[in-house]
Amino acid sequence: MTRMHRRPAMRARTGGHIDRDTTLTFRFDGRELTGHPGDTLASALLAHGVRIVGRSFKYHRPRGIYTAGPEEPNALAGIGTGARRTPNTKMTAAELYQGMVAESQNRWPSLRFDALAVNSALARFLPAGFYYKTFMWPASFWEKVYEPAIRRAAGLGRAATEPDPDHYEAAHAHCDVLVVGAGAAGLAAARAAGESGARVILAEQDFLLGGGLLADPVHEGWRREMTAALEALGNVVRMPRTTVFGYYEQNMLGAIERVADHLPEPPPHTARQRYWTIRAREVVLATGADERLIAFPGNDRPGVMLAGAARAYANRFGVLAGRRAVLFTNNDAAYATVEALAAAGADRVTVVDTRPLGPAAAAARTRGVEVLPGHEVVGAHGGRGLYSVEARARGGDGGFQIDADLLCVSGGYNPAIHLASQSRTPLAWDSGIAAFVPGTAAGQRSAGAARGRFGIAAAARDGMEAGGAAAAAAGFARRPAFELPAGGADPDLTVAPFWEVTARGKSFVDLQHDVTTADIRLAHREGYEHIEHAKRYTTHGMATDQGKTGGLVGAAVLAEARGLPVEAVGMPTFRPYVTPITWGAVAGHHIRREFAPIRRTQLHDWHVRRGAEFLEAGLWLRPAFYPRPGEAPWDAILREGAAVRRSVGICDVSTLGKIDLQGADAAFFLDRLYMNTFSTLAVGRARYGLMLREDGMVFDDGTTTRLADDHFFITTTTANAGRVMEHMEFHAQTVWPELDVQFTSVTDQWAAMSVAGPNARRTLAKVVAGLDLDNAAFPFMGVADATLAGCPVRVFRISFSGELAFEVATPAGYAAIVWEAILEAGREFAIEPYGVEALGLLRIEKGHVAGAELNGQTTAADVGLERMAKKKGDFVGKALAGRPGLTDPARPRLVGVRAVAPDQQIRPGAHLLEAGSDRSLGWLASVTKSVEPGGWIGLALLSGGAARHGQRLQASFPLHGESVEVEICSPHFVDPENARVRA
Amino acid sequence: MSAPESRPAPEPRSPLAGHLKPGRHGAAGSRPLVLREVPATIVELAARRGRAAELAAAVRGALALDLPPPGRGAAAAGATALWIQPDTWLVVAPRGTEGALAAHLKGVAGAAGSVVDQSHGKTLLHLAGADARAALGKGCRIDLDPAAFGPGRAAVTQMAQVGCVLYQHDDVPSFSLIVPSSYAIPFFDWLCHSAAEFGYEVP
Repeated sequence: MTRMHRRPAMRARTGGHIDRDTTLTFRFDGRELTGHPGDTLASALLAHGVRIVGRSFKYHRPRGIYTAGPEEPNALAGIGTGARRTPNTKMTAAELYQGMVAESQNRWPSLRFDALAVNSALARFLPAGFYYKTFMWPASFWEKVYEPAIRRAAGLGRAATEPDPDHYEAAHAHCDVLVVGAGAAGLAAARAAGESGARVILAEQDFLLGGGLLADPVHEGWRREMTAALEALGNVVRMPRTTVFGYYEQNMLGAIERVADHLPEPPPHTARQRYWTIRAREVVLATGADERLIAFPGNDRPGVMLAGAARAYANRFGVLAGRRAVLFTNNDAAYATVEALAAAGADRVTVVDTRPLGPAAAAARTRGVEVLPGHEVVGAHGGRGLYSVEARARGGDGGFQIDADLLCVSGGYNPAIHLASQSRTPLAWDSGIAAFVPGTAAGQRSAGAARGRFGIAAAARDGMEAGGAAAAAAGFARRPAFELPAGGADPDLTVAPFWEVTARGKSFVDLQHDVTTADIRLAHREGYEHIEHAKRYTTHGMATDQGKTGGLVGAAVLAEARGLPVEAVGMPTFRPYVTPITWGAVAGHHIRREFAPIRRTQLHDWHVRRGAEFLEAGLWLRPAFYPRPGEAPWDAILREGAAVRRSVGICDVSTLGKIDLQGADAAFFLDRLYMNTFSTLAVGRARYGLMLREDGMVFDDGTTTRLADDHFFITTTTANAGRVMEHMEFHAQTVWPELDVQFTSVTDQWAAMSVAGPNARRTLAKVVAGLDLDNAAFPFMGVADATLAGCPVRVFRISFSGELAFEVATPAGYAAIVWEAILEAGREFAIEPYGVEALGLLRIEKGHVAGAELNGQTTAADVGLERMAKKKGDFVGKALAGRPGLTDPARPRLVGVRAVAPDQQIRPGAHLLEAGSDRSLGWLASVTKSVEPGGWIGLALLSGGAARHGQRLQASFPLHGESVEVEICSPHFVDPENARVRA
Repeated sequence: MSAPESRPAPEPRSPLAGHLKPGRHGAAGSRPLVLREVPATIVELAARRGRAAELAAAVRGALALDLPPPGRGAAAAGATALWIQPDTWLVVAPRGTEGALAAHLKGVAGAAGSVVDQSHGKTLLHLAGADARAALGKGCRIDLDPAAFGPGRAAVTQMAQVGCVLYQHDDVPSFSLIVPSSYAIPFFDWLCHSAAEFGYEVP
């Protein structure tokens, strides 16, 4: 870093906010170059005289650095290497660091020679809307031919393909006053608000505080004093490298803090970027102003640059952007660039002023600057750089050449109204500066150049007032007192509107998307007159720079075509993001396995140790099956299912939703929520319940237990646990607020395990204490408390598999102890743990419906549960369940299906057809290979239902080209008399 | 139904068992955060309709604990009550005999309150240290600044997609965080991630 390097040709010996004592080396397109701390990539490149930094989007024209900030349209780079490479980074905002590796974009094979520059010669055939018009037919060509070709040719940069090694995080901040932008207005606003005692956040996208002050040596003392004063205020949080990108409802703003983008890699335990959500009582937008371009032929040539940018490079970075400069301006403020360039060592500056001779021009002349009043630039010539500027008297014929390597352009300044506009603050036209300015809205105000108060002193005064007013509105009335900048009169910022030089050649209004004045006029001729339509047709202002430099110029060209004043045409609506942000920052912590929280049961570790394959069920991870070494999935599932049918199995059912319901009206509440009755349920007994939605469709099912007269324990399906809770909350809070009911989720309080199979009782009897499990003492649907291995348990005699079964629930912290004890007790019966797949197999064999059948489109009658409806009394869904469409006897009803050739696979989703017919009679909802009947079976919803038992149909699955002969049967493949569960 | 007589239950297993790694983690710094799990008894107490005053009086009489108003917690010897929703509180106490606090509270509340033991269903974490607010701020949308929040304040909110009850104990500041046990691991992982920048210690 400290190796001796020769001073780059365009770097001044002194001046600016760079540390010349330290030299940084970096690479650009493979070439090793040097810069200093305080440089951006752009300033370091300009110091070395680098002119072309990219190729344009459509015509692949060579492009140079155009601005000195985030409004940059041209100078985009991929920065970093490998997985850390970030495309489309604005060189003008990228803080230089030791070892930076940057690559230009959108050129092939190299910057100097680009194969697609031929597009420029073909421009006549590539007008606005070209893609829409040309690639219309044949439609089949889109995917295979047109789109890949367009994507290869277009595109902006390449994303890294490896996983990002860095981490990103979210963060939330609150404040009384948020000040966006730390220029003269922002610094003054933050200090005024801070000194009043308010909690202040000052967000600045740049790595230095100061904004326009950084290019203004006259006021450097004031800038330092202000930043020091802010640092001393404990209630002001300064956030450099933080871009506020969006303004949302109720003063919530989004911001990206680039924590470590200025380092080769983030320090340990530090995020690369932080996505801030800032909630502010009051907001001061001190976002400054963006200089606008003028449309003239060749205004995109490398060597053409905004006047303020040339001044910033000279004053802030000590970099001379060109030795023989022309300034093309319609305003006096831009004359400051003349001084800056002269001071930085330019050989000559010539001013082409569109206006008659004015005070600034006259003053420049007295200093020996050549000024051409009433003139305009009609061309910028050169190959890979700028050689000469062609000018003429305004509107005249012909022209003359001015030898130049730098053309500075200033068409006036637009207040940076993006955030104000996003917040729906009304915008007003200010004819003095020919730009839109924001008004105020509740909780926010703009200050300084952001509302057209140009000039350091005016902006600072405006900022101080805005900061004080914002603090007062937030309840902090103390008046601040500090000095405003002195010395240096503010320039006159009124402009004579001047948008376009009418002459032959491509005049760009959007440099990044290669939109010309001709494109805007074409859009108008083709009927896209509205600014929003013209924008979309031409893509004007839709690039990553959001039209910050040429947006209003394009609107003015459209206005001229329409014969309207530009303020009547207006600007397209501004939307987030003000500047692009990375996806990594949006995702933050929640990527890969952290995308959503993973819920684990208390037996998760046991399942892992046992080698379970897991299945996602909502946010839960559930064991699907437990394969033995080398065992195929179906073999494991059938083995587990067979263990339950023949002896005993145990399944973790902790994920079922569980709700504790209490209150004097608890039973009544359940009667209204479920289609069947619970008020008649005895204490210590469970009952299966079916819940409908308001529209009459089945919502959820589960068992509910009465623990006391006023106390119930409800279970729901795993999938619907949250929704059932919401359903209950909705009815308790809004429909029947008079009921005395309290309920809460106890899903995580209780672990639950199903012990099922002919040997279930023998197994549990060995370990359950304090409860007689004998059928007479503890019949089907009985519930009782007991202990097991010293742990409290609640035993439910319920069955999903169709076998003799018990569900053992225990406070979750005891789950592992209880589980292990049952496994140990069942060892003599060769107990097997079984997963969700075997659970599904068993319930399909038994004909129990689950999520695939209760899919929101089925009624109770469809799934054979119509008899559950209570005869007396209302319940949710009763009225709408009586609709004709829901009671139509032709509706598909639940049936069983078995493959005629048992080994022939059938698939869920297959349609059931009569042989030779293409009319669907129904569909397969659930299928499985089976243990007891053997072979492939399933549950289906079939028009005709039970009347079709014994019929043979085709299960057709056209996506796989399959048609399988199946026989329709009862859905109860196992124990239709229900004898086993009562054994 | 009444629980059968039995010997004391074994020690329950934490959902974070094997996941909490005691020691110093994250960045080296002079003032690490302290992050630990606190074994606790947590009981949800809800007033029956229209009987909140009666319940509050009963609890005050038996536990010398004032059920706090919305947004607050109240601590008494041996137990802290946190407001979590209208007429509903979490009563948090050091872990004791299984079910004992719930049974005691049911006895105190009688027909004026509904009592649900959530000791296993909820996991209590404790985070303390000068940078605790900044660490929590990476997921917590609530303003934790002393001007807006402080000792005695409680909130029910979401952090890192997980529903969480938050309670501030003191000006250290130290916070209790109560999350559903099935979410304990992802929540703890997020919290560790958020605290790593400041360095943290798991005792």
